[in-house]
Amino acid sequence: MNKWILNCLFLLSMTILFAQGPPITTESPYMLGLEGSGARTFGKYISKEDVVIYIQPIAIPYNISAKFQVGGIFPFKFITPEDSKTTGGFGDITLFAKYQLYKKDEIAKTFRILGFAKQTFPTGKTSATPAIGSGLYQTYIGLIIGKISTKIGVYGDFGYTITNKNASDNFTYNFSVGIPLVEPVYHKKQLNTFLEFNGNYVFDSEIHTLFISPGLQFIPARRILFETSFQIPILQQKITSNKTKFMVLLGTRFLIS
Amino acid sequence: MKNASYKLSIVSFLAFIILFFMSDTINAQTNTSQELVYISVEIKGLACPFCAFGMEKELKTISGVDSVHIELKKGLAFITTQIKQQPTREGLEKIIIDAGFTPGKIEYSDIPFLNKE
Repeated sequence: MNKWILNCLFLLSMTILFAQGPPITTESPYMLGLEGSGARTFGKYISKEDVVIYIQPIAIPYNISAKFQVGGIFPFKFITPEDSKTTGGFGDITLFAKYQLYKKDEIAKTFRILGFAKQTFPTGKTSATPAIGSGLYQTYIGLIIGKISTKIGVYGDFGYTITNKNASDNFTYNFSVGIPLVEPVYHKKQLNTFLEFNGNYVFDSEIHTLFISPGLQFIPARRILFETSFQIPILQQKITSNKTKFMVLLGTRFLIS
Repeated sequence: MKNASYKLSIVSFLAFIILFFMSDTINAQTNTSQELVYISVEIKGLACPFCAFGMEKELKTISGVDSVHIELKKGLAFITTQIKQQPTREGLEKIIIDAGFTPGKIEYSDIPFLNKE
């Protein structure tokens, strides 16, 4: 697996040529364009050893100012355990806020740092088996960092999640490198590729998961984009049963106004 | 002979009419171009085509704006606008800052910038 990762990194370093769009599984420090006044939805298919999960969230951001964005994520979740019926319904709602803490703009490049806070509410059903919601209030505080130029986009976000009841807190981290596959000329069609890493560490149980997520993004017009990402686990430490086999994401972002 | 001179006068008359209307068109074009002003705006932080749409949309909201063209690699926006409704430097800077970018050099010209290049 390590050899495979190195090969991917080598391929990326060889094809770094132009600019790119927003990352797929990592947060973007840009609060503009489709990131600012648009909506995002994707279908995420999670294949585990004993269960298949399908999540369809709709994320709607709203820019209060150029520096401050708020929004909500409204998910639908369907769980199909092996040899059992599918349970589905409305999941846990998340409200979020992003605030730009630092910005350094130059010609055709930018470096930005954002403060990022999320609050998840236990709106999903927990009476169903298996449960759709977590039954927990979760508060996330983190940072989003990004350096974007016309040649490459490097993004990262990390943060700490505080949970109520007896659930453990956890630390989430994501990293992304994005490059375009065609020359970025506004406003022509764009094709971008990403290599992302998505990690999570749960403190009490010491469960550590890390996924490698190659992705592809197609922007056919000014107001819409399509994206897909394939997430493969490279680390599932202290998980003894029902490990994740893979995850597939297929989504779109579109401008409302 | 008479016929030839008759034909010649008709052709001359038609040529005069055509030239008259052509000159009028030329004058009209000149007048139109005199009524326009071309603005080159340096926009820092505009690093991806995907983000340029928000900026273009904001610049098009300026009253009197005829067209907006964005050169991503150079970080430039070229605006064509009616001279009577020419936006101020401060007004343009505010639009760029509000869109989340940093304004740079702003130049006004009576000749299109793209023609200058």
